Amino acid sequence: MTCWGAKRQKTEYMDGRLRDKERSRVKAHLENCDPCFADFDEVSMLRLKLQNLAKLTPPKSLRTDLRVDASREQKAVAESHGSRIERIWRRWKTRLDDFMRPLTIPATGGLLSSIMLFGVLGFTIGRTTRGVTYEVPILFAERTDANLVPVELRSAVVLTLSLDGSGRITDYAVRDGSDSFVGSATRLQYNNISLPEFPSVLAMTQPISRDIRISFTPIVFRR
Amino acid sequence: MVNLSILADQTGISEEDARILRGLRAGIEAAYEELIDRYEQPIYSMVCRLTGNQEDACDVVQNVFLKVFRGVHSFREHSSLRTWIYRIAVNEAHNRRRWFARHCRKEISIESEGPPQANPIECAKDPGRSPYQQVLDRENRGLVEQALRRINPVFSAAVILRDVENLSYEEIAAILQVSLGTVKSRIQRGREALRHELTQQPDSGLAEVMAYQ
Repeated sequence: MTCWGAKRQKTEYMDGRLRDKERSRVKAHLENCDPCFADFDEVSMLRLKLQNLAKLTPPKSLRTDLRVDASREQKAVAESHGSRIERIWRRWKTRLDDFMRPLTIPATGGLLSSIMLFGVLGFTIGRTTRGVTYEVPILFAERTDANLVPVELRSAVVLTLSLDGSGRITDYAVRDGSDSFVGSATRLQYNNISLPEFPSVLAMTQPISRDIRISFTPIVFRR
Repeated sequence: MVNLSILADQTGISEEDARILRGLRAGIEAAYEELIDRYEQPIYSMVCRLTGNQEDACDVVQNVFLKVFRGVHSFREHSSLRTWIYRIAVNEAHNRRRWFARHCRKEISIESEGPPQANPIECAKDPGRSPYQQVLDRENRGLVEQALRRINPVFSAAVILRDVENLSYEEIAAILQVSLGTVKSRIQRGREALRHELTQQPDSGLAEVMAYQ
């Protein structure tokens, strides 16, 4: 017998599941092969260790719990004695219980977190909706520092500003040469416009609101 | 699929099992008591090693017995009572282990890091061993228990059933619902994995375990 053959039959040899003839052949090989003998010996020692592992003693409370369960089940059997339908119902109840048990904690957790989430969001949603005001991304600067940057002028651009009575800008629109509104969010962000404060315009000694149109035209220099 | 009817012939129900089953089905108190007396300790011991946690083991054992009590009417007696109970216990322990791995991995307590310890009083009762030898024995057993927890649960279950619980291949096949060839393979791979764990891991060397033989 080869080492490979002996190793193949190692488990069955250890567990005494080989026939006499095969067992003798493995035994004869082990007597002549030191590596295989050492290998078998190590596994044999391991088995001995496993067999000698201590018997773990259950806590006394477990016995009490089991007796309580047994008593409950005994009572249930006594009550449903002879009733086939009752037994079938209990069997399905047990199956349903087994099926639902792993889902209980995740489902409860999900439900609670949803309630908490919507509870918090409910307040936030209500208040933000009412609190929203029209916001125009405009930076104000002193008259001397004011400039208009960085509008990338490929064509003529008209900036229309709406002013209130005190000269503050309340709205604006940027239109290019084709007269289409260039007011996309990205473009507005790009056109980070800084403007001076305009003086109040008076009519009949009262400040009035009005629109101001400012045109930008790209200048091309030719050599 | 494994032909369990073949295995059933070899692991069939005994007269004693049949008596207990009759008692359970009739709701006789003594039958419940006998069932608990016979299976509480071995099932607890096995489940404790499969789950690696004593508190979990108590819950699992309670579930196992509940299933046995409730399922006794539908038990078809294709296998022995012991095989049936062990099968329920192995499945419950695996379910618990999977559930624990999925939900509580971050909450592993210090207690669960170690193996289930043997009762010190039980160890001290051995009159043939000196206190020093008894301490060594306990440490070695601890190393083996730890190694059992580190290997693949599929293999450790087969090794525990065979080498610790001393069940036959046929019973293990019926419990795990696999073929005899698979049982043999799992036991072999389990033992090799265990040996590897004990010899290769620097902190748990088999050399030390073997040296104290």
